[in-house]
Amino acid sequence: MLTETDNKIPLITLLGHPNSGKTTLFNYLSGKKYKTVNYPGSTVEYSISRVLSRFEFNANILDSPGIISLIPCSPDEKLSVNYVYNHPKHGKTDLAVVTLDASQLSRQLLLVKQLIECNFKVIIALTMLDILNKKGLDISAEKLSELTGCDVVKIDGRDGDGIDELLKIIKENINKINENNVKHSLKNYDSAKIIQLYSDIEKIEKEVLFSIEPLTGENELIHIENVNKKLTVLNNYKNNGHRKIDKNTISIDRFVLHKFWGLIIFIAVMSLTFTSIFWLAAPLMDLVDTFFGNLSEIASNVLGNNLLSDLVSNGLIAGLGSVLVFVPQIVILFLILGLLEDSGYLARGAMLLDKPLAKIGLNGRSFVPMLSGFACAIPAIMATRTIQNRRERFLTIFIIPLMSCSARLPVYALLLAFLIPQDKPFIAGLALTAIYIFSILSSLIIAGVVNKFTKRIKSINDNSSFIIELPTYKKPKIDTVLKNTFKNANQYVKKAGPVILVLSLILWFLTTFPQQNQEDLSVNKISSTELVLNATSPFALINSDTIKNQNSGEENSDSESETEYDLSKSYAGMIGKIIEPVMIPLGLDWRVGVSLIVTFSAREVFVSSMALIFKVTEDEDEGKFQEGILNSMREAKNEATGQQLFTTATIAGLIVFFVFAMQCLSTVAISKKETGGWKIPILQVVVFTGLAYVMAFITVHGLKLIGIS
Amino acid sequence: MRSASELKIGEKAIISDIDNSNPSARRILEVGFTPGEEIELLFKPVFGDPLGFSIRGTLIAVRSSEAKCILI
Repeated sequence: MLTETDNKIPLITLLGHPNSGKTTLFNYLSGKKYKTVNYPGSTVEYSISRVLSRFEFNANILDSPGIISLIPCSPDEKLSVNYVYNHPKHGKTDLAVVTLDASQLSRQLLLVKQLIECNFKVIIALTMLDILNKKGLDISAEKLSELTGCDVVKIDGRDGDGIDELLKIIKENINKINENNVKHSLKNYDSAKIIQLYSDIEKIEKEVLFSIEPLTGENELIHIENVNKKLTVLNNYKNNGHRKIDKNTISIDRFVLHKFWGLIIFIAVMSLTFTSIFWLAAPLMDLVDTFFGNLSEIASNVLGNNLLSDLVSNGLIAGLGSVLVFVPQIVILFLILGLLEDSGYLARGAMLLDKPLAKIGLNGRSFVPMLSGFACAIPAIMATRTIQNRRERFLTIFIIPLMSCSARLPVYALLLAFLIPQDKPFIAGLALTAIYIFSILSSLIIAGVVNKFTKRIKSINDNSSFIIELPTYKKPKIDTVLKNTFKNANQYVKKAGPVILVLSLILWFLTTFPQQNQEDLSVNKISSTELVLNATSPFALINSDTIKNQNSGEENSDSESETEYDLSKSYAGMIGKIIEPVMIPLGLDWRVGVSLIVTFSAREVFVSSMALIFKVTEDEDEGKFQEGILNSMREAKNEATGQQLFTTATIAGLIVFFVFAMQCLSTVAISKKETGGWKIPILQVVVFTGLAYVMAFITVHGLKLIGIS
Repeated sequence: MRSASELKIGEKAIISDIDNSNPSARRILEVGFTPGEEIELLFKPVFGDPLGFSIRGTLIAVRSSEAKCILI
């Protein structure tokens, strides 16, 4: 098939197992000037770059995700493999450069063999020679080249040794590329074929590996004396060093994969992860919060007292602030996930949890997506692509919205602050932990129940599988981890940002219009300018001076009831009245109803909308924003019954509601995309929100029954 | 005939055959479990499954239901 891409500049694709030094090589060739792109609609990403001009030839170079075979097993692998055959943007691969971990020769040669069988022009870049040497072995590049028919170059990722030679060979081969249409396909690829490929590989391995003297201090001298020994062909090669696993890894795994200590370490790692998400992020979130608070103040001072000013400071800046305030948490979570993955721990975590997860219809591979779900369901749902089995993957996607994502945190923080005295932050922390554990347990129970009910649909082709390589423990590469973290944070802002921003503007519009007279507007402004913003931080320590300055000079005479009356005339109020009948059984009224409606687009808006709706009028002597909102919550009366609106029971009910309810448009969208239909997202909305309502009802009335109102 | 899933911790064995009727057989072969290779069961974490094998100088975790197709 001739397409326009055939006239393109040559495409070099880098291939290789995960952790075989592929990206390091890519960085050398591209001079680190590349862009990372996601394959359309997936988390699988590739980096593409022009080869550095100083290397004096023109070609694109593509770094694809690590694969172990050309026959894919998961949706993720399928994409990567398909694009080796034909990349939608850059055409077909002209030259395959394979990084081959020399210390893992026999397993990694399979991919080389497959590529050769597939008629790709292959160049082998041998890496990790230092590890091979540590095992007391060396490898002959010439022999390997002779036996495979490919050009072979030894490279050293640490100092760039061998890169020049590799480039010379690439250049020679690029010039030889002919435009003939080579058919790339693997023929008769069955078990017998794999066994045959492996037996070829073993013959190669036997001929190319040489033993060298162990490089211990004492033997150094002997080693020098016996240089010739280096060339001793490995005879009994199967019992030799190269089949031994890294000693450190084995000793660490004696604990990490220990029957008892493994579990303790796992619990410790997870607790540490979550505590740092909350406690490391808190001061940073305050910083972001204060910044936007000040920005909003400046804006409203500069623009004066008018509608535009209100729109900019309350709508626009407040909206932006509510997006960015979560960035510290997301950054910290991805940073920790990156460190855990790079060090090799996540694969062990997945292994540890495979059995219990398999019992409820999930897979060990569900572990990482579920963990990411605590930051945000969107990247988490995309991360399920590594799960081969369709049913397990869909079930994982199904329960991910139940993981307590960072958007729920400010909501819980506000509601818990109402229940628990401020001077006991320890109890609040414990309560938050309890909510998290409750949400995890609920999600597992729901997965188990769904699994039971759908078991009959299971088809024979649905082979559930868990085969993963446990990588050698390594010191994480900080720069790669940081780069990925930055990328994820960026993605969050880009994806979630616009949604939340638009929503804040809509909320502003709904609560401000229809326009009331000018006096009312000024009242409206006092109460909301700072508050909307500050509401977005769960740990809002709000700069009291700001609010005081704002309040002084304006009349504070309007009573709370008057401002509430104003709001009920706004569009938001009208909507709230419609859903009031639904809220009454939960002991709540239309005002909470409005807040809950807006949360269906983004949960974190709950706090700011509560602030807007309950018209927090600041008390002169109390500087803190949260105090203000809590006080007005304490004073609020249920308009339907005249009783106190927020009680221990109704607040507990609200918390339970937030644990279950599917209140996130972006999650619905991504769930539809990833499952390829509306069935699962609709089920999620109906089941989780219905469950949220029922559970909240049970909580409220259960608590009342045992005497807690 | 025994399978790799019946090994005890620290026990080594040579793979004699791979049972092709198991749907995971191909992936098992691809990651390096081929007849003639020596394997050792190294780890059996908390819940006793999956199993951690050493094969061709690396560690691979395999569910015991899948390790059943590795005959020794």
